Amino acid sequence: MKKVAIAGKTGKEQALQVCSVCGNYSEHNMDTTQCPVCHQKISLRKKDSLQKTWALLITALIFIIPANIYPITYLLKNNTLYPDTIFSGIISLLESDMFGIALIVFVASIVVPVLKLVALIFIALSVQLHWKFSAKKQLLIFTFVDWVGRWSILDLFIISIMVSVFDKGHLLSVYPGVAASSFTIVVISTLFAANSFDTRLIWDSQENQNNKLQDNEYND
Amino acid sequence: MTSEIPEMKMGHVAKCIRCDRVIYKNSWCNPAGLFALCLTALMMTIPAFNLPLFSIHLLGITEETNLLQGAMMMIDSAPLVSFVVILCAAIAPTLLILSIAISSGYLAINYKSTYLPKLFKITRLLIHWSMLEVYMVSLMVAIFKLMNYADLYLGLGFYFFVGLLLLNMTIISNYSNHKYWEKYQSL
Repeated sequence: MKKVAIAGKTGKEQALQVCSVCGNYSEHNMDTTQCPVCHQKISLRKKDSLQKTWALLITALIFIIPANIYPITYLLKNNTLYPDTIFSGIISLLESDMFGIALIVFVASIVVPVLKLVALIFIALSVQLHWKFSAKKQLLIFTFVDWVGRWSILDLFIISIMVSVFDKGHLLSVYPGVAASSFTIVVISTLFAANSFDTRLIWDSQENQNNKLQDNEYND
Repeated sequence: MTSEIPEMKMGHVAKCIRCDRVIYKNSWCNPAGLFALCLTALMMTIPAFNLPLFSIHLLGITEETNLLQGAMMMIDSAPLVSFVVILCAAIAPTLLILSIAISSGYLAINYKSTYLPKLFKITRLLIHWSMLEVYMVSLMVAIFKLMNYADLYLGLGFYFFVGLLLLNMTIISNYSNHKYWEKYQSL
């Protein structure tokens, strides 16, 4: 018979696991690896969630450096090559009085990736080290970061449009630079990092901490 | 945290008691209607991706550009960028609409296919990678940037793309994974 879940208690406490695919819950045993309803893989928490998140965050952290140092596009004009980094692109937008666009590009290509990395590292650290920072606030930050993350693809789309418009050989052409690939890696790995992070871990880590504190009190 | 989902009126949502996140949406979700929307959207993808989005008058030549061409031109110099652009702007949205179309079609005629669970899973994955609205904003940014340098005319593809974007948004906001699972299990 199927165990009935009690509302107000965590699934972990009741030894129940929810299927991420079909949303049905089932009993959590060591030997059940498949959801009985939809036969997809099931586990109590996302597998190796924190480890995967850390690995991807470190990748992003490494690649964000070349993404900002090296030129993201090259402009070939009358046989002369003009490299453009993310930052110099924004400066030139500002110089030609396009403040709105400069702001969009600045937010999408500098603020969002950096903010996302900082926020995800903060949340991952707080889970790892059992910090006592409001779990709800952490989730709020995570949800915001998760939502805003996709907008950093904007820069890549703009590059692809520019490359196809400026295609006049040696007279006037635009080519993507090394930073474009690095930036892609940053965006993709932060997207995957947010995806592989199991938000329930935020609560798990704080509960563990509470239990430990109680144990210590008993021991004292 | 386990939460109980109460009986709800149409359009109401149930939230988790611990984190306040929406866990269940009682939305209008009609497979036959969604199937029709998906078919329209699928037909729109062909002109939206292949017709010129805009044309630009530069150095005495009029150059047209479309979504796929832009990505294909980078395939030698930056294959990764090119792949991600094609994936997020063309492949993922098309596959997403296609998978919703197939699952809606099956549910509309009450046919219980063994492929449906796989399709639901694929749909959930693809929603993250379909970024038509991001492409729209990039297109606007690019158009405003280019207007300063040259004469620019919007092409037919642009209007198809806007149509596709609107349809895509309607489909995603009405599609509910939960509801489809419920329908599948009651078959």
